Amino acid sequence: MHTVIQALIVGVLTGGVYALMASGQTLIFGIMKVVNLAQGALVIAGAYLSYSLFTSFGLDPFLSILVTTPVLFGAGAGLQLLFLRPLREQDRQELSLLVTFAIALGIEGVLSVTYKTTYRTIRTGYADDSYTVDGYQISAVRLYAFILSIAMLALLYALLERTRFGRAIRATVQNPESAQLLGVNARSVAAVGFGIGAATAAAAGAVYGILYSFNSGSHYDLISRLLSIVILGGLGSIGGSIVGAMVMGVVASLVAALGTPIWSDFSFFAVLLAVLLIRPRGLFGASLRGAL
Amino acid sequence: MLECNRMHKHGRIALRRAAAILAVSALALAGCGNSHGAGAQSPSTLTIGISLSLTGDFADPGKAAERGYQLWQDTVNAKGGVLGRKVALKIVDDASSPDQAVTNYQNLINRDHVDLVFGPFSSLLTIPSSVVVNRYRYAFIEPAGGGPAVFSQHLHNLFFVQPAPTVQGGMVFADYILSLPADQRPKTAAYPSLDDPFASPIADAVRQRFEAAGIRTVYNAIYPAETTDLTPVITKVAAADPDVVVAGTQSEDAYGDVRAMIQLKWAPKWLYLSNGANSPVDFPNAVGLKNTEGIFSSGDWFPGSTASGSDAFAAAYVKKYGGTPDQIDSTSAEAYSCGMLVEEVAAKTGKIDNATIISTLHSGAWPTLEGDLSWDSDGAPQGSYLLEQWIGGTLQAVYPTDRAKHTPVTEPLAWAAE
Repeated sequence: MHTVIQALIVGVLTGGVYALMASGQTLIFGIMKVVNLAQGALVIAGAYLSYSLFTSFGLDPFLSILVTTPVLFGAGAGLQLLFLRPLREQDRQELSLLVTFAIALGIEGVLSVTYKTTYRTIRTGYADDSYTVDGYQISAVRLYAFILSIAMLALLYALLERTRFGRAIRATVQNPESAQLLGVNARSVAAVGFGIGAATAAAAGAVYGILYSFNSGSHYDLISRLLSIVILGGLGSIGGSIVGAMVMGVVASLVAALGTPIWSDFSFFAVLLAVLLIRPRGLFGASLRGAL
Repeated sequence: MLECNRMHKHGRIALRRAAAILAVSALALAGCGNSHGAGAQSPSTLTIGISLSLTGDFADPGKAAERGYQLWQDTVNAKGGVLGRKVALKIVDDASSPDQAVTNYQNLINRDHVDLVFGPFSSLLTIPSSVVVNRYRYAFIEPAGGGPAVFSQHLHNLFFVQPAPTVQGGMVFADYILSLPADQRPKTAAYPSLDDPFASPIADAVRQRFEAAGIRTVYNAIYPAETTDLTPVITKVAAADPDVVVAGTQSEDAYGDVRAMIQLKWAPKWLYLSNGANSPVDFPNAVGLKNTEGIFSSGDWFPGSTASGSDAFAAAYVKKYGGTPDQIDSTSAEAYSCGMLVEEVAAKTGKIDNATIISTLHSGAWPTLEGDLSWDSDGAPQGSYLLEQWIGGTLQAVYPTDRAKHTPVTEPLAWAAE
């Protein structure tokens, strides 16, 4: 039983971190109907930025988010303007796969040249700390990362639900044509939305860099997980991506801890396939579609 | 040993590799291929052709090999060359592509008519290259292709310049543990391993030795290469509470194992990580220097090694490239040792043709930075790796005793002692 609960703790905390990464992914899809294959690379770029700020200036990675999120917001908006906006509306969904994959490879190339392929880790002073609660170990870094993820997701929720811009985004998601008729500049919303998605990647990257060793090629594994999470949760649903991330974290952790790790990733995909057979749009894809 | 650290990433980056091949091919067609070193040589020059991964996935170790090769060239030429012939290396980039490596060796032999060839980086590139090199009856002294498939080709012209085939990396740890008095040996063992041809076979070979010696297996599992988080795996290992953990690892999963153990506040009495922990710079950076204390791994060359020419190599390396001996990638030593073998064959026979090299190296033992090497008929070296342990913040060779610089430390691992 001890192993089960310990694995559950790890799974939930890990799921929280993936939820933050996946929220940006699903936001971009919700607004633009673009499957952003560069989201993993943006997370790794965020990790490298935090790594540089930590190693060069001693800036704590959690604080570095104040710097990295605006930087990646600008980069994300710029990428959307440069590479996605020029695509014709009717081709955008299909071509965006290729374009965002090309962006991912470009980011990887820049990171490889800049940082080499050596694995990096952001080692803070509290990297090894963990809290013992009733015999269970709770990694301090994971806990902080989880709290940050919740805070960022709450911020994202507030932005979408409580601001004029959020209403513009939601209107664009629900009906782009009507939103435009009502004065919403859909093009600007798309650029800013892509920027916000990239900004969440910056925050997630700082966390990822603390939790795991990474190099420029780490985004390949990451993007496959992120896509699985948002598909399970329902493309375009932030709430769904949170639930999907939690399911992924818990299932993978439990299977590795109780069964064998060789099936831990597969088991999540088995859950994904089972859900899709019953609900092809994912857990929240039907009821909340268009609502973010 | 470092080849395997980078091998498993390769498959996932096929598209990028293809792009790199195209780029290299385009450059070659344009007549501006990225080669440097020897051009047309006089007969008094000994030209050695090498395909190396100077770009692409293996660029870091490829460049480390390049530094080793070039340092040997400088060193031997400062002594007057080989049998009075100045050495000129012709190094061409293969962009970490097996296909490009094959093309490079064909060009080096057929078009450039190099006198000798040395090997590329990694088994992935060595295997197809060795077929080409064998076709032309060249000796293939290679520093970084130690996977089982290299030797299963049964090529008589191939010589792997490391102490043993890569998958035997853990044997020296088994030797050490089984050399302990029976009452001091571990009673139980766990074997978490990466699904990788250069990781899990190492742990599996140790497991067979341990089980035959009565050490009970309490955990034995393979995790996929995509596994980012090792905490669930270590959670189960910790629940089994083995005396010794023999982990078949590469790099980031080795770091993940240690970090998970620290955060779960659990440690075995002995911890052996087949790879990753043998990186003198990256490992302490990833897990924290104080947490390295007591961890075992395997290696071939290290600063302070008693192997032939080691001190001179380290001094010359630091003089040429800067840094400290601790920062020297062992791949450089492996490449440098290829050149040492050529020198020794020339000194012994007075000849330096390929047939002489092949026949001569197949008899006797040959001193290199990797130790005294000898090979079976397939090119598999017959020695053993060094058992290394982190002691006092540095990697120390602790076994076998005759090559050790320090006795193994048996204190609890750093985080267990806190």
